[in-house]
Amino acid sequence: MAKKVLTVDDDPDVRLFTTTVLEENGYMPVEAGNGEEGLQMIQSEKPDLIILDVLMPRQSGIRLYRELRTNKSLAKVKVIILSGIAKKTFLRSQQALTEFGETAVPEPDFYLEKPVDADVLAETIKKAIG
Amino acid sequence: MTQILLIDDEPDILRVLARSLRADGYEVFTAGSGIDGITEFERVHAKIVLTDIKMPGMDGIEVLKRIKGMDADAEVIIITGHGDIGNAIEALHFGASDFINKPVRDDALTIALKRAEEKIDIRRRLKEYTHDLEGKIEIATRELRRRTNFLDKLIRSSNDGIVATDEHFQIVVFNPGAERIFGYMQEEIIHRRNLPELLSEELAGTVQRAMAAHRSFRELPWREASIASKSGERIPVMFSGSILYEGDQKLGAVAFFQDLREIKRLQRELVHSERLAAVGQTVAGLAHGIKNILHGLKGGSYLVDLGIAKKDDEKLGKGWEMIKRAIGRTSNLVMDLLSYSKERDPQFESCSPNEIAAEVCDLVRERAEQERTELISEFDASIGSVRMDPHTLHTVLLNLVSNAMDACLFDENTSKKWRVCVRTAAEPRNQIRFEVSDNGMGMNDEVKEKMFTSFYSTKGHRGTGLGLLVTHKLVEEHGGRIEVDTQLGIGTTVSVWLPFREEESGA
Repeated sequence: MAKKVLTVDDDPDVRLFTTTVLEENGYMPVEAGNGEEGLQMIQSEKPDLIILDVLMPRQSGIRLYRELRTNKSLAKVKVIILSGIAKKTFLRSQQALTEFGETAVPEPDFYLEKPVDADVLAETIKKAIG
Repeated sequence: MTQILLIDDEPDILRVLARSLRADGYEVFTAGSGIDGITEFERVHAKIVLTDIKMPGMDGIEVLKRIKGMDADAEVIIITGHGDIGNAIEALHFGASDFINKPVRDDALTIALKRAEEKIDIRRRLKEYTHDLEGKIEIATRELRRRTNFLDKLIRSSNDGIVATDEHFQIVVFNPGAERIFGYMQEEIIHRRNLPELLSEELAGTVQRAMAAHRSFRELPWREASIASKSGERIPVMFSGSILYEGDQKLGAVAFFQDLREIKRLQRELVHSERLAAVGQTVAGLAHGIKNILHGLKGGSYLVDLGIAKKDDEKLGKGWEMIKRAIGRTSNLVMDLLSYSKERDPQFESCSPNEIAAEVCDLVRERAEQERTELISEFDASIGSVRMDPHTLHTVLLNLVSNAMDACLFDENTSKKWRVCVRTAAEPRNQIRFEVSDNGMGMNDEVKEKMFTSFYSTKGHRGTGLGLLVTHKLVEEHGGRIEVDTQLGIGTTVSVWLPFREEESGA
């Protein structure tokens, strides 16, 4: 059975891009338009991989990523961050939250800065879940 | 008790006088001859000596001379024979205090002693006074020295250059601060050089005019200037000076110099680094916006390629739409950039602010419904048609309302019932207040600080980071002002005051 990949981004064009790449490479895409919705989908759809944007309404990718990495049942799920935000900035935000007393979380498995070519995205997905 | 030494060769007189004086409260010593008198005086140092003038051996005049030789302050009263005025005058000449005639009458003696005692008392008081005065002078001198030292140290340790001159401008004080600025040692300057020689022509002229002027002109306020150091380097300084007076008398001049080299250097560095930071921020902000748009373009062209390769019209269509949206966003970004970077004079036209506000609300109403945000408008009906720039008003309000809706959209507290409220209100002095409030996420201090000054976005692909910069600029160009009240997690209210002109009469 095809592996299930959840893409979480508030920009419908980005979702369309990602889901098309997924379909073309034989994965089964599901999508969510914000962090809150994303979290529900993770629980209901149990995806193998999550492709996550950072700046989103309702719940930011920074928050959602922490949820993923501090929740034992979800800790195994692979994550690709796909964002206009630089990796450095993302890590700094995580570190700031840790300094405020929250649990430290590991760096994301993969980090892609927009803009990303379709083949790079496809390769990264393949590296993550085969 | 006052001591009296009685000298007389007649024992009876000696005895009677001694008894009488003791009865009057004196301590009395006696001697029966001149030479015994001197010996006794050496022993007791009586304050008052009463001596007969005619005595065998050493006479009274000799006794007087000897005693005065030993103690000039001793009061010597001479007892003379009746009518012996010549001797009496001689005695006075040698320093006798007084003379009384024989036979010694009590009242005459009392008066003479009293005078002698008064003289002793006056002398004692004079001595005390003199002594006291010396003490006071010493204290004053010490204090003066202390203050002089203090002032001297103060001048020496001052970081500022201090140069003081006499009334002919010859330099008398040249402190280490001045040495550092001018590059001369004080030995080269003090009593050798005049102040104007160290200054630029213009500065020298100022100082000379101040010295020549009427006394009301005595302070030269702080100003920036530059001086040439010994090595010829032009050194930027803050300069101030003052003409020194004592009463109406000109004493000289003092000039103060603050070295501005370090400050100037820091200022240059600051300007440079601020410019770099501004450029960096602009580039980073722009880059973020462009990266999101490029991603859209890549996605669009990927779909178009797929559509062509597979002859899939649906993909082709969707891809083309993506590309068109990316073009639209590029155009918005560029227009924002242009309107931010270009000066624009507001065009005052006849318009109705309430209508413009209503138009803006209509534009976002559909979005508000989708995002479950209630849109409320409260317009002041007293506002009619006025002259202001409708483009400014429309752009500003649309920006603020979109921001308010984003603040709700990005709010992580999903238990809230979000609302955005747009108000207009007529204000005094031909101004209208436009207020846009929301109960969304609010801002922290960092965001609030950056909101009007930096190319900064917290909104991913939704923000170019330019909206509030443009808003702020438009409001300023229109002569208005903007205020923000925000609380993290509670919401934000932005108020904009824009001035308007009355409709032209007859229009």
